[in-house]
Amino acid sequence: MELVWQAAVSGVVLGLVYALVALGLSLVWGVMDVVNLAHAEYLMLAMYATYWLWALGKLDPTLAAPVVVPVFFGLGWLTYQLLVRRIVRAPLAAQIFATFGLLFILRYGAFAAFGPNVYGVWRPGEGTVAVLGVPVATSKVVAAAVSLAAFGLLAGFLRYTKTGKALQAAAQNRDVALALGIPVDRMYALSWGVGVASVALAGAFLIPFYQVSPTIGDAFLLLAFASVVLGGFGRVDGALVGGLCIGLLENLLGTLISPTFKFLFVFAAFVAMLLVRPQGLLGDGGR
Amino acid sequence: MSRTGLWVGLGLAALASLPAWVQDSFLLNAMIHVFLLGAAAQAWNLVGGYAGQVSFGHAAFFGIGAYTAAWLLSRHGVTPWVGLWVGAAVAAGVSLLVGYPTFSLRRHFFALATLALAEIARISFLNWEVVGAAIGLYLPLEYRNRLAYLMWDSKPPYYWTALTVFVLATAVVWVVDRHRAGRYLRAVDQDEDAAEMLGIPTRRYKLYAMGLSASLTAVSGGVYALYVLYIDPYNVMASRISLLVVVIALIGGRGTVWGPVLGAFFIVLLNEYTRAWLGGRGAGTDFILFGLLVVLLSLYQPRGLVGLLARPLRQPQVAVAGAGGDEEEPPRTLPTEEVVLRVRGVQKSFGGVRAVRGVDLEVRRGEILGLVGPNGAGKSTLFDCLTGFARPDGGEASLGGARVLGLPPHRVAWAGLGRTFQGIRVFPDLSVWDNVLCGAEHSREGLWESTLGEAPEPLRRRAEALLRSFGLWEHRHRPAGQLSYGQQKLLSLAMAVLRQPQVVLLDEPAAGVNPVLVEEIGRQIRALNAAGLTFVVIEHNMEFVMRTCHRVAFMAEGRVVTVGRPEEVQRDPRVLELYYGR
Repeated sequence: MELVWQAAVSGVVLGLVYALVALGLSLVWGVMDVVNLAHAEYLMLAMYATYWLWALGKLDPTLAAPVVVPVFFGLGWLTYQLLVRRIVRAPLAAQIFATFGLLFILRYGAFAAFGPNVYGVWRPGEGTVAVLGVPVATSKVVAAAVSLAAFGLLAGFLRYTKTGKALQAAAQNRDVALALGIPVDRMYALSWGVGVASVALAGAFLIPFYQVSPTIGDAFLLLAFASVVLGGFGRVDGALVGGLCIGLLENLLGTLISPTFKFLFVFAAFVAMLLVRPQGLLGDGGR
Repeated sequence: MSRTGLWVGLGLAALASLPAWVQDSFLLNAMIHVFLLGAAAQAWNLVGGYAGQVSFGHAAFFGIGAYTAAWLLSRHGVTPWVGLWVGAAVAAGVSLLVGYPTFSLRRHFFALATLALAEIARISFLNWEVVGAAIGLYLPLEYRNRLAYLMWDSKPPYYWTALTVFVLATAVVWVVDRHRAGRYLRAVDQDEDAAEMLGIPTRRYKLYAMGLSASLTAVSGGVYALYVLYIDPYNVMASRISLLVVVIALIGGRGTVWGPVLGAFFIVLLNEYTRAWLGGRGAGTDFILFGLLVVLLSLYQPRGLVGLLARPLRQPQVAVAGAGGDEEEPPRTLPTEEVVLRVRGVQKSFGGVRAVRGVDLEVRRGEILGLVGPNGAGKSTLFDCLTGFARPDGGEASLGGARVLGLPPHRVAWAGLGRTFQGIRVFPDLSVWDNVLCGAEHSREGLWESTLGEAPEPLRRRAEALLRSFGLWEHRHRPAGQLSYGQQKLLSLAMAVLRQPQVVLLDEPAAGVNPVLVEEIGRQIRALNAAGLTFVVIEHNMEFVMRTCHRVAFMAEGRVVTVGRPEEVQRDPRVLELYYGR
């Protein structure tokens, strides 16, 4: 029982991190109905950026975030301007293939630049924090807290600011929003900026306990997709709920049954959700 | 054809004789990879190119084929001649299991499900003791150099085996492309709802493409296992294989026969040689180029390298006497009293909005019935309920005595109901000719038949007559997307009536076109009616309605208020009040 409780607590912590990774994917998907297959590649790049700031500039990852996040906001904005705006109204297949090509460029760009080796930030003497009686590594607790804060900030932004409301309007009906004078193009660019910035935030706080290599995007892309689909795509809170479910599922079933199959359970749950309730736990319209 | 045939024959002869004059083992190895990955890409092309259902998990099928053949041989001594086909069957089974439920969702979800499937397969095989878990399977070497076991200790026989698989996959795609199935798959890719409404059983075609694709991929994976003699989840189920297969088909040109062929040579040779030249460190550089190409092609040339190389082909003109366009309008026929479409108490609510509140309607054989009423009266929703695009909350409808309410759209079409949509719904990248032929009768058309045969002669003659009288015959080889708006409306009418349904529902046929074309569309509808077709027409253009319809039904607030001759309905005080607010 003790073991299960530990697994549940660390599952929640891990789930919050997954949720932060999925946040940007969900935002872009919800606002523009574009699935960004290259989403997790930005995570990988942000982890490299944080790593090199630490390795070369002796900058602690926590302090690196304020540098990395704005840069990646710019990167997301630029991606939109150079590529995504040309495919917003293209056939679905063209959208899938464009971000698929982007995935190749970013992933193998990282391969060419950094090689296939694995890098991690090593911080000696890092302690643990007791969360509900369970000791959890400080860096993980920090990452989970940052995730919660990010979700709170985004929810507040969407609900209480004029720009946030305009963003929601653009998401719900592009043509009506245009007719009302909302700069939809700028809203889309903003959602890409915020989407990529949020996944960079996740990267900066992930690197202290997760090593980076050019191909980590594979696992995280599927985990992020699973979170978004499980919670309900197109809703920001869906990513949070989905991420938590994935974290709990992975840790609980991994502990109770077998750790080698933990991702199998997650992906099976993801496929089962697609089949039974494609709109997700919170969603209302499926197709 | 004969010139293409000549080139293909010469190319094949050159490829087949390559091992005779080249002994470079690196090149032969690279070519074997070209053929096997090319075959898998060609297989992917069926489902990802023609049917437009993007799979990122073909490594799972490749691996299933490799594992089945290897396991049967190493554990049970079963020859690969059997094992390859068992693998193909297993892969097809798995693919249908994934495809059946996900094909009813939007395409994102299918792509995501295949991504997850490949990951599930890899983790399972990595931990499954029966197939060697992480250690993998070794193929027993004592079977080598016997044709019965397809294993050798030199490269040339593998080269020819792999070439055979590649040719087989390409031939399958060529056959599909050349016949009805290819046309229907493209139609499904471009507008699934419109394809359904023409009676194409879209899910069946998608599953067909998927099953065929998975089994061809599995055969290629099986031969790969026989070639490398050792398999584990890292070499036959790696995501790298899924990605390479997609990239080959995309860069070469998806939805074309020669795209994956071109792509395979280009991508795999580049991949193998950069690996050799640059070593481990530079392994990724060619992939950066592939990514760039994929992005650029998705923006500017969806047909890939083939699209860049192809010149617009001039097809031979078929000279057949036609109906001619500008003849006298035939005399109006009088409808019979026989009720062909009977609608009783059909209801539909969206949330709290009761869009259709119990509609009763009788359509008589041979008439043109106008369906008019203010916006929001529920006219299009009624059409959606009748044709299976919306699930009605209650009521019944029968066509010629057979129940149609609640059937999926293609079944409704099979029962004899045709329909056009508001706006235009043609398949923009298909030629005008292919568009019309998508309107063939599909209810008794088997998959086998549609893969191996062309549309029957009487149907082709009818399609030609329709195109001629609609003035579209000269444009038959152009993509439908290049026609004017009005021409596309005429084309969608031709598609809906080709199979001569018992009743054709037209949703605003005259909306958005210029007055001359409105007149032309009206004339065509009346001519088709004179030839025996029954129409129900939603239309706001009252002049058009008055001139075209035998009877008019007036709908408001989800109900049919009155039905009668056009003049009567027009003068009805209830209609004046509800329509014009007087």
